[in-house]
Amino acid sequence: MTTLSPARRASAPPAVAIGSVLVLLAAAILWWLLSRLTFAIPTPAASVRALVHSFGDPDYLDDLRVTGIAALSAFAIGTIVGGLIGIGLGLSRRARTLFEPMVIGLNGLPKIVLYPMLLPVFHLGYGSKMVMGVLFALFPVLINVEAGVREIPQIYGKLARSLQASRRQYATMILLPAIRRPLLTGVRLAVSLAMVGVVLSEFFATDKGLGRVVLSAYSAGEYATMMGTILLLLIVSFVVSFALWELERRVR
Amino acid sequence: MATAGLKLDGVTVRFDANGDDEPVTAVDGITHEIGEHRFVSIVGPSGCGKSTLLNVVAGLQRPTSGTVEINGARVTGPDRRTGMVFQEDSTLPWKTVTENVVFGMRVLGVPKGERAARAREMVELVGLQGFESAYPSMLSGGMRQRVALARTLAQRPSVLLMDEPFAALDQQTRLLLGAEVRRIWGQTQQTVLFVTHDMSEALLMSQQVWVMSYRPGRIIDVIDVDLPDDRDAGVVSTPRFNDLRNRIWESLQKEAMRGFMAESA
Amino acid sequence: MTARVREAVRPAAAETVPPAARRRAVRLPGPAGAWSTAGLVVLAVVVWIAGSAASLWSEATLPKPGSVWTAFTAAVRTGQFWADCGSTVWEVGMAFAGGAVLGLVVGIVFWKAPTAGKIFEPYLVSFYAVPMVLFYPVMIVIVGINQWPVVILSTVMAFIPMALNTWVGLRGIRPVHLKLARSLGCGRRQTLLHIALPAAAPFLLAGLRLAGVYALIGAIAMEFTTASSGIGHRIRYLYESFDNATMVAYILVVFVISLALTSALALLERALLKGRSGS
Repeated sequence: MTTLSPARRASAPPAVAIGSVLVLLAAAILWWLLSRLTFAIPTPAASVRALVHSFGDPDYLDDLRVTGIAALSAFAIGTIVGGLIGIGLGLSRRARTLFEPMVIGLNGLPKIVLYPMLLPVFHLGYGSKMVMGVLFALFPVLINVEAGVREIPQIYGKLARSLQASRRQYATMILLPAIRRPLLTGVRLAVSLAMVGVVLSEFFATDKGLGRVVLSAYSAGEYATMMGTILLLLIVSFVVSFALWELERRVR
Repeated sequence: MATAGLKLDGVTVRFDANGDDEPVTAVDGITHEIGEHRFVSIVGPSGCGKSTLLNVVAGLQRPTSGTVEINGARVTGPDRRTGMVFQEDSTLPWKTVTENVVFGMRVLGVPKGERAARAREMVELVGLQGFESAYPSMLSGGMRQRVALARTLAQRPSVLLMDEPFAALDQQTRLLLGAEVRRIWGQTQQTVLFVTHDMSEALLMSQQVWVMSYRPGRIIDVIDVDLPDDRDAGVVSTPRFNDLRNRIWESLQKEAMRGFMAESA
Repeated sequence: MTARVREAVRPAAAETVPPAARRRAVRLPGPAGAWSTAGLVVLAVVVWIAGSAASLWSEATLPKPGSVWTAFTAAVRTGQFWADCGSTVWEVGMAFAGGAVLGLVVGIVFWKAPTAGKIFEPYLVSFYAVPMVLFYPVMIVIVGINQWPVVILSTVMAFIPMALNTWVGLRGIRPVHLKLARSLGCGRRQTLLHIALPAAAPFLLAGLRLAGVYALIGAIAMEFTTASSGIGHRIRYLYESFDNATMVAYILVVFVISLALTSALALLERALLKGRSGS
């Protein structure tokens, strides 16, 4: 019926794809230009060489492993805990009135400042940064799942009752499928934020990890190693986030 | 000869279809006139190009060929001499009833003092006294369309265009609002072009009904409505109303079927 | 018809906008919510007092409330405290203002040029995944060791939710409103100021709220890990000099500032959206 702009609907995917590549190219050129300005920013090529070189260093692989494991565990724990709390709050109006203001408040806190208080309890190794990663990853899952549960159309509940579905059937056949999109949004943000939380913690104080590598390479003037590691972290976070973002858009 | 309130001359609109399909001719060479202060309805099946024709008159859509004249002067772009009431709720949810009514006048540059006076008058005319400072979210669908009507009338257009304004409302509200619009028109005396797919609505309100065909959109029948001028919603149960209704249905039936088949193919 | 148009707008919002923005207007807690929140805070303090008194944890892990209070009152009498706060507030303010304006402009540009928007959208969305602090050493090299690296990187963090929300909000404008603008012969400026921006206001305000939150989170995180001024930096300094009581006092100050900012922006949002609950 809306005949005003008939041919507008079809977007042009080739233009978008080409554009995305151009953006990457522009970023690389900008980086290269910056590297001409100051010795402290190595060229993209030098950084990639340094990164490849780092991969031959067992200590570096150890740092990589530590950061990877910490981020993944933080993500897993954060998603499960956040998801469960989110479902609970979504289902119970009373729980929402009690805890929702606090959730909103906590979500806005710069949680990283709690790190020094975690250190004496969970120590310098995996513990403290994993807890920090969990704190970062928890809230996006919680808030999205809660909103998702709350927005399940009431008719689904009626349908389940009319079919005399058990609680279990309701959970697996209605609740989870109904919240798949907000859940995925939460998961995408949780992966990202778990890593941000871990790397930030490593910047502050830790024994091993890529955040520490960046900082110590910076202090030691090994700028190529620093940029190589930054590049690695950027690529990993972008690839994961892009992939989940695509998945999220395809899920109907 | 006196100039017509609205004059359509060979108005044709073709849309390029996506891909290899033939272009769609939504409106095909319509040449018709509406005398000043006359109330004309267009009925036709869904997708017949009624709304497109209305958009052309408002200057929102450039015709592929042909011209539109209002009081003897051509329409070349969005035209201030027209005012449009849309099918969808077009009230602005961030403005109160009065602010909504004032909005059109403000954009058109009506002096401030006059705006307030006209707004008060129009709110009263459409029967919304007491709701001046309510927000649209507090009003029913029918009341929101009254707000949109008041806003449009306040602009004092010489041609009032109505694009199925009551389509989203239930049947009773629709007939009552239809009678209201006719009463209001009796006072404001605009030239009105009213688009609908509801035959009763068309008969209840207008002096003349045009029946439009499914693609290509042409006027295939013109029916003069000889019902009493002071008719109200009660007129729908009179025999004459029924006769006219049957007459329209005769013209419309085949087109409606054709449209139905084409749209569901 | 109208109802369907509105519903269709919502999934699009869920796609791009970070979680908190999906709740268009914040629902402020009713009295029950306020009381229960107050109750939970009191409970936490009671546990803190009791636990410290019973020596469940050492003073090095979590100092007694009394020590923290003493440290706090001592700190506020120093010029240092106010200098730290001033520095952080200045950085957050600059980042918030810069991010909000930049985000608004970019959101409008994306709306006018959807292809550009589609190209940049995944990058912007993924920036949440990047620890901004990674760019800190690079920024130092470019703009020097001062407050600007913090301001610039926090601005980027504040800018992203603002831009995405602006864009989603503008895309969600009901077509009939734009048609109304056209039929009245509104110019670009009038359409933007009188129709588009007010129509997108719930999203703009959600974006603004997130911009505030992210500006603060970004600035504090950067001060905390790398920078050499501000409250975040002071916490790090106090940690390194084993002054736990003052450190905890500073951490609580950060929380208070954060809650004040969140509530202020939420109240602003609510005040400005008054009357359009149905929209």
